Order: sequence, then structure tokens, then C-alpha cells
Amino acid sequence: MHTDRIDYMVIAYLCYLPIALGLTWYVARSLFRNSIVFMKDIFNGREEIALATNTLFRIGFYLLNIGFALYILKIGEQLTSAQGAIETLSFKVGGFSIYLGIMLFLNLYLFFRGKRVAKQKRLEYEMNARYNNPGPQQ
Amino acid sequence: MDNNVLAYTIYIASTLYLIYWVGRMCHRNGRIFILKLYHGDTEATDTINNILLLAYYLFNTGYALLRLKNWEKVLSTAQLVASLGHHLGLLTLILALTHYFNIALIYFLSKRHHRFTS
Repeated sequence: MHTDRIDYMVIAYLCYLPIALGLTWYVARSLFRNSIVFMKDIFNGREEIALATNTLFRIGFYLLNIGFALYILKIGEQLTSAQGAIETLSFKVGGFSIYLGIMLFLNLYLFFRGKRVAKQKRLEYEMNARYNNPGPQQ
Repeated sequence: MDNNVLAYTIYIASTLYLIYWVGRMCHRNGRIFILKLYHGDTEATDTINNILLLAYYLFNTGYALLRLKNWEKVLSTAQLVASLGHHLGLLTLILALTHYFNIALIYFLSKRHHRFTS
């Protein structure tokens, strides 16, 4: 009986870890492969700084989500049957996946906001330039 | 081998690697921001960047090692995985928070100087 209980716990942990880490990796890969378009737009087409910012955000995403996944790893109750193990495991994985979705939207919001602010700044800059020296072409 | 010793070995190996990896990536990708703040002065940029990396390594390895002192007594394999996950997760979360704080700092500095976006 004693060995059985320990078995279920370890199996649950061993299932949870690859699922959570793989999910984080997959979401990060698809998010940051697409976000490079926003970054180039925000930094006015300057490749180097756009790539650096993208990588920094990717590191932050990995750290935050893998850290959270490990932090909530601990299973409080004792697992004595396969049924209990599956229930607990799916509760954890489901909760983590909803959390990942929220993080995904937060990151997307940051990128859209950055894009809007950069566009506004560029417009202001152009307006100022035109207002301060109209130039011969007008 | 004692469960606690096993936990300490895994913990120290993985935190040191994690801290090294994050430090190297930030060192490599953060250089361009310092370069912009220093108006393209390469020498000053590299000096500051290397000193920042060294300070980061010292603080983070120091903190990671400090947390070994009050580790719970590990009795089973399940508890080993759970306590390892808890400690590693907390350290990673702290790293993430400081990382986002640094990104915000760069953003506010750049806003004051208008150097990155326009």
C-alpha cells in the first residue's frame, strides 16, 4: 500500500513536468516567431535592436512561465488510485494552460500597445518637422 | 545517497546552469541598449556590460546558495520532486520579475532620451 501511493505521486509529477514544459515551449515559440513583425514595426525597421528586444521578451516569458509551472508542481493530497491521479493531473494541467493563455494575451497587448505608441510618436515627429521647417517643396 | 544531498546536487547544478544561461543571453542582447545610451561608445559599453554581468552572477548565485539552509527534510522521491520544483520555481520567478523590471527600466530610460524608437 505504501509503495503504491508513492508510485502514483511520482508518476503524476513525471507526467506533469514534460506536459507543462512542452506547452510553455510551444506557446513561446509560436508567439515569438510572430512577434518579430511587431518589433520591426516598433523599432522602425532596425533589425538588430528589434531582434534583441524580441529575445529579451522571450527569455522573460520562459522564466515567468516555467517558474510558475515549477512553483505549482507540488500535489497537496495523497494519490492512492489511478483515477485520483488523472483527476489531479488534469486539474493542474488545465489551470496551467488557462494561465498560459492569459500570459499570451498580456504579451500580445504589450506588443500592440508598443506598436500604437511608436506610430503616434512617428506621426508627432513628422508633424513637428513639417511645422518647423516647411521646406522648398511646399 | 541521502535524499537531501541528492536534492542539493540537482538544485545547485540546475540553478547554476540557469543563472549562467540567463546571464549570457542578457549580456549578449542587452549590449545594444547600453550602446545606445552611451551614444555608440563601444569601450565604455563593454566595460559596463561586463561589470553588470559579474555583479548579476555574484548576487544570484549568492541568493541561490543562501536558500539551501532552510530546506525541509526530504523523506521520499515524491517529496524530493515537489521540494525541488518549489525551490527552483521560486528562484525562476524571482529571475523573471527582475528581468521584467529591467525591461521596464530600459523602456523608461529610452522614453526620457527618445533614443530607441524614433
